[in-house]
Amino acid sequence: MACPHLEYREADEERTFETARAYCTAVDAFVQPMRADICNDRYELDHTTDCEFYRNAER
Amino acid sequence: MSYDDYLAGDPVVITAALTGGVHGKEASPHLPETPEEIADAAEACEAAGASVVHLHARRENGERSFSRERFQELTEAVRERTDLVVQHSTGGTGAPDDIRHEPLRTDPAPDMASLDMGPLNRYQHLTSENTRGLVESLAEEMRERGIKPEMEVFNGGHLNEVHELLDRRPDLIEEPIYTTLIFGGGTTAMPTPDTFRSLVNHLPEGTQFNTLGFGQHQLPFAALGIVFGGHVRVGLEDNRYFRRGKLATNAQLVERAATLAETLERPVATPDDAREILDI
Repeated sequence: MACPHLEYREADEERTFETARAYCTAVDAFVQPMRADICNDRYELDHTTDCEFYRNAER
Repeated sequence: MSYDDYLAGDPVVITAALTGGVHGKEASPHLPETPEEIADAAEACEAAGASVVHLHARRENGERSFSRERFQELTEAVRERTDLVVQHSTGGTGAPDDIRHEPLRTDPAPDMASLDMGPLNRYQHLTSENTRGLVESLAEEMRERGIKPEMEVFNGGHLNEVHELLDRRPDLIEEPIYTTLIFGGGTTAMPTPDTFRSLVNHLPEGTQFNTLGFGQHQLPFAALGIVFGGHVRVGLEDNRYFRRGKLATNAQLVERAATLAETLERPVATPDDAREILDI
């Protein structure tokens, strides 16, 4: 199951993209594509163990 | 390789690492993500002096993809527009081993492919393991498909792994051995001239080496690579800036490396020169 802090957005206050991109509501920022794989629990990744943003937000 | 190789004036192979798999357009609007954008950048880099292009594939939204199909679409776009030596990445933090083989399975096979020689840390809680088993299985498939490995040495321990692999499996990697020495933060090699000299001094006999500095280290380590008879990798995968505060394009970074090589009186390799130097 994807991270509860993950949203897909086309824009924030500063930038607009043609395609919706992974946005982390825990840090209020678009995230790197590699980090988006963690947000989505793809491959062997798990946001509950692998993401410091999630872990810090859940403390 | 050494300063004597510099004095010999052999051509410098410039590899353009256009996009990578870590950051995307959230980091720089100049970073190409789609096959069309990457082919555009490859064409501009070839004109600027690149002879090898290092490729990662992405999904429609810029996120990572390791699938054969996405690499096929990408490599076709680049091959239609350039004569560059095509190098596919097999890197993939968090991706299962079987998926890491997918970029080797395009038709035609890539001319080269990266081979990460050991573990490296990512973020706060991740490690890209790159076990010996995975490294060997990737090298075996490269050998079967006639793909030249680019052995990526992120630190001194990885150079031990190069020697260990060559000793244990002398059948696996054809000469000339080709390594990329990687300098920066984290688990990459310390970005100092002393570290650079040490790694170069301990390369296997006859190795051709490529030099990669992350971020602000890209330019000075390109210079070191050129002066010590090696080759150079530049591009937005590794460094987003032309100078402090000014974002770069891939072609600008290649053009600067080419100018540096020519200023130091080493010619810039054409794609055919690169094929001859690397025996592709």
